[in-house]
Amino acid sequence: MNETISYTEAFKELQSLVNDIESGEISVDQLSEKVKRAAQLIKICKDLLTSTETDVNQILKEIEEE
Amino acid sequence: MKIFSLLEITKGLQRTLAEQYPQSVWIRAEMNKLNFYPQSGHCYPELLEKQEGKIVAQMKANLWNDDYQRINTSFLAILHEPLKNGINILFQAKVTFDPVYGLSLRILDIDPSYSLGNLEQERQKSIEKLKKMGIFEQNKNLEFPLLPKRIAVISVETSKGYADFQQVINQNPWKYRFCYHLFPSILQGEKLASSLIQQLKRIEQVKHHFDVVAIIRGGGGDIGLSGYNQFEIAEQIARFPLPVITGIGHATNETVVELVAFKNCITPTDLAGFLIQQFHNVAVPLQETWQKLAKVVDDRLSEEHQKQSEISSELKKNTLEQIARALQSLTFQVHQVKGYTRFLIRKHRELISSQFVLTKKKTRGFISTQWANIQIIENNIHLLDPKRILARGFSITLHNGQPLRSQSAVRRGDSLKTITFDGTIQSTVTNLQSDPTP
Repeated sequence: MNETISYTEAFKELQSLVNDIESGEISVDQLSEKVKRAAQLIKICKDLLTSTETDVNQILKEIEEE
Repeated sequence: MKIFSLLEITKGLQRTLAEQYPQSVWIRAEMNKLNFYPQSGHCYPELLEKQEGKIVAQMKANLWNDDYQRINTSFLAILHEPLKNGINILFQAKVTFDPVYGLSLRILDIDPSYSLGNLEQERQKSIEKLKKMGIFEQNKNLEFPLLPKRIAVISVETSKGYADFQQVINQNPWKYRFCYHLFPSILQGEKLASSLIQQLKRIEQVKHHFDVVAIIRGGGGDIGLSGYNQFEIAEQIARFPLPVITGIGHATNETVVELVAFKNCITPTDLAGFLIQQFHNVAVPLQETWQKLAKVVDDRLSEEHQKQSEISSELKKNTLEQIARALQSLTFQVHQVKGYTRFLIRKHRELISSQFVLTKKKTRGFISTQWANIQIIENNIHLLDPKRILARGFSITLHNGQPLRSQSAVRRGDSLKTITFDGTIQSTVTNLQSDPTP
């Protein structure tokens, strides 16, 4: 999974996927794909959040140490 | 008629004279001419007597060399005059008559004191006459020029007196410049009066070129000064329009010329000194004034220097004070700025610090919000997963390949496909019934 996508893009896509699924206007064939994609995007978002959180914590720690 | 031989007559005259004047006699007469013969050394004086200007007696005399020398010496000693023409004399003489040589008046002696008294009488007469005429003081009363620069000199070119005068004037160490012109004149003897008066007249014609007249006679000692008692010369000098200064020698009594002259300096050297003194009289005060002026200027300058140095030290002091004050104020400002800067920095540090805390909080909050959002979506997706729905006992019916939502789209006999959790069911529609509870 080497896809480069920003958190904002990933989140937007995720939201629209959820909407599509909730509206029920997706064929069953598509459904599995969409869910699979959603799971993928959630993973991306979680990773990004984790790394962001680590970075932010590191930066804050550095500032405090100054 | 008795006839005499010449010898008888001359013998008679000789006898008569010898009887009448057996010894020498004293005679008073005017010696008109001395008639000195340098070669023999004898004199043949011309004697006469006048009454009211007319000659009433006249006779020639003999003065032999030896007698002449003796008499002349005694004259020079007493009168300061030699035996000369035109003086009154009292003389001792022997009157003789020689049949061959004729009448002879041999002068044996001449009394100098008689001539002296006579000369003095003449001198007094001249003075009285000049005073009576009111001109005795006339030359003395002239205004003397401030600087007697231009001098008409009456002198003898080769005389010692003129040389002395020139030396003093030309070599004066103060370098006063005089301009003098010689009017040569005979200054003693017979021609004194005529020559001197002639030169005075010449000078008078060009008097505007001259400041003073100087009569300079020298080298003759005090002999022959009586000529300067002559009224004619004295009158000319008294009336002369320029001041006349005399340097004609040492007389026992000042001569009339010296008395009427503006100034009698006696010797030519003194005369030159007098002229130089006139320059001194101007130059010395001038020099003193100059020195005074220089001193005043110096004083003034040093006063100004003093003032200026006072001003500049004052200025320096003020400036230093100003600088000190400015420095103080600057130090104070620096202090202020430092303090204020520290204050600002501290304040901003606090601000940043609080901002940092806020940022930290917000960031963390934001991140946790994101986490929550993702969690919600994840849950939703989880719930929406069809496999889970099928697993819970729901199924999907497809009609013509499309999920079937409404009973009304289906006709009897239509073929339907049902998807369950673990497989599919193929069926045909046999009965249709609408839901009573929509």
